[in-house]
Amino acid sequence: MQWWCAATGFPWTWTWQWYPGVHLLLILIAIGWWQLGRVQRWSRHPFGWFAVAWLTLLATLDWPIGKLGAGYLASVHTGQFLLLTLLVGPAIIRSIPPDGWLTIAPEGSTRRRFLRTMARPLPGLLTYTALVITTHFPAVVDTAMTSQLGSLSIDLAWLTAGLVLWWPIAAPRGFVALGVWGTIGYIFGATIGPTIPAMMMVFSDWPIYQLYELAPRVWVHFTANQDLKLAGLGMKMFGDLPLWGTAIAVFFRGNTMRGELVDG
Amino acid sequence: MTRYAALCLVAGTLACHGKADAPLSPQGFIGTELTVPVSKPSATFTDSRGLPFRFDSATHDKVVLVFFGYTNCPDICPVHLANLAAVLDKMPDSVQTHVAVVFITTDPARDTPAVLDKWVHGFDPGFIGLTASDSVIAAAQRDAGEVATVKGAPDATGAYPVGHAAQVIAYTRDGVGRVAYAPGTRQRDWAHDLPLLVAFPQPQAPSH
Repeated sequence: MQWWCAATGFPWTWTWQWYPGVHLLLILIAIGWWQLGRVQRWSRHPFGWFAVAWLTLLATLDWPIGKLGAGYLASVHTGQFLLLTLLVGPAIIRSIPPDGWLTIAPEGSTRRRFLRTMARPLPGLLTYTALVITTHFPAVVDTAMTSQLGSLSIDLAWLTAGLVLWWPIAAPRGFVALGVWGTIGYIFGATIGPTIPAMMMVFSDWPIYQLYELAPRVWVHFTANQDLKLAGLGMKMFGDLPLWGTAIAVFFRGNTMRGELVDG
Repeated sequence: MTRYAALCLVAGTLACHGKADAPLSPQGFIGTELTVPVSKPSATFTDSRGLPFRFDSATHDKVVLVFFGYTNCPDICPVHLANLAAVLDKMPDSVQTHVAVVFITTDPARDTPAVLDKWVHGFDPGFIGLTASDSVIAAAQRDAGEVATVKGAPDATGAYPVGHAAQVIAYTRDGVGRVAYAPGTRQRDWAHDLPLLVAFPQPQAPSH
């Protein structure tokens, strides 16, 4: 039995498979979120945001998307990346209300300093870009995805990348001092990192990932080359759209993603 | 390859790894040279249009890449054919026109010419699909130095797996099978070897 979706080299089957590690993690996240709110006596529980984050995590990591992405289709692997970084990341940030963040990182604490640092554009951009590029290195993907621990690490790295990416945009005001143009500039910078792996997938002469090139086919005439081009195009097109949409929204309406921080 | 190399540079330390970095065979192939070269099957098959196909004469002066497999194969067969199709598409005409990819079914009961035609041409219209009786196919496998086919037990739906050799045998233009390509052969490996196979053996210089 596999605890976490990883490449096996076995032919693809549409028969449901259970991945206990995925469900265990999701149960722990749900319990953790509920307990955090109870202990910190949140003024409100942002159920909607948490449901978006939790259900997207379930869909992304569990069968069939989790298994397809781990060992069969680079395009699904890219879809997982987009969901974790563009949907789960901001939804998790918003699933904790501003007073919750204040309790997690009180004024003067090390955690507060760390979160303030990560809310600045440069640390955020550098960390996010480094995570994106590193986790798309052919050697990293081909090595990591063949083990459950490695595959879990990639998923967690992308979840972290999503939190890092959206923290300067969606964090409560007490953590962030970015203005409208600063936010728009930051968003533009965030679109650069994923362009590198996306270009490699689209324009390389030969498939860059051995794993997906030699994986048993899910649909017999859907080739590794088509899959990789789809992955690269999807990464750029569907990856940039939400970011540009956010930038446009920020330009016209100011940053409404940011929660007000309730001090004291 | 230039674009790929440039992109790798952009990404810094991206791993442009692959078998191409591995030691090459004595003749410079990435594939494994056979210690005992094999001769082409001499039998007559039926191609996917239902016409007779005499293997040795129909593939004369071509590099022939022969693979024994079956269309219900869930893993190796479609990967080999898809990779070959992708690489040949990017090869210059001087290579493409001298290479024939031949898929010989190891499951003639299910792989009728019509089934073969649709499946093989789904990868590349130029690929050749062949079938024959079990005995002819078994003899061809022996000629090519391949292991014999093993038919598995049918499941509840009547479907059954077919065990077969997983390597592609490359015959050079002189009709001799010299190089084997195991599962795991990547497109860049084929791209390295196909021009060498077409040029092998080196043409003799005219004597004066």
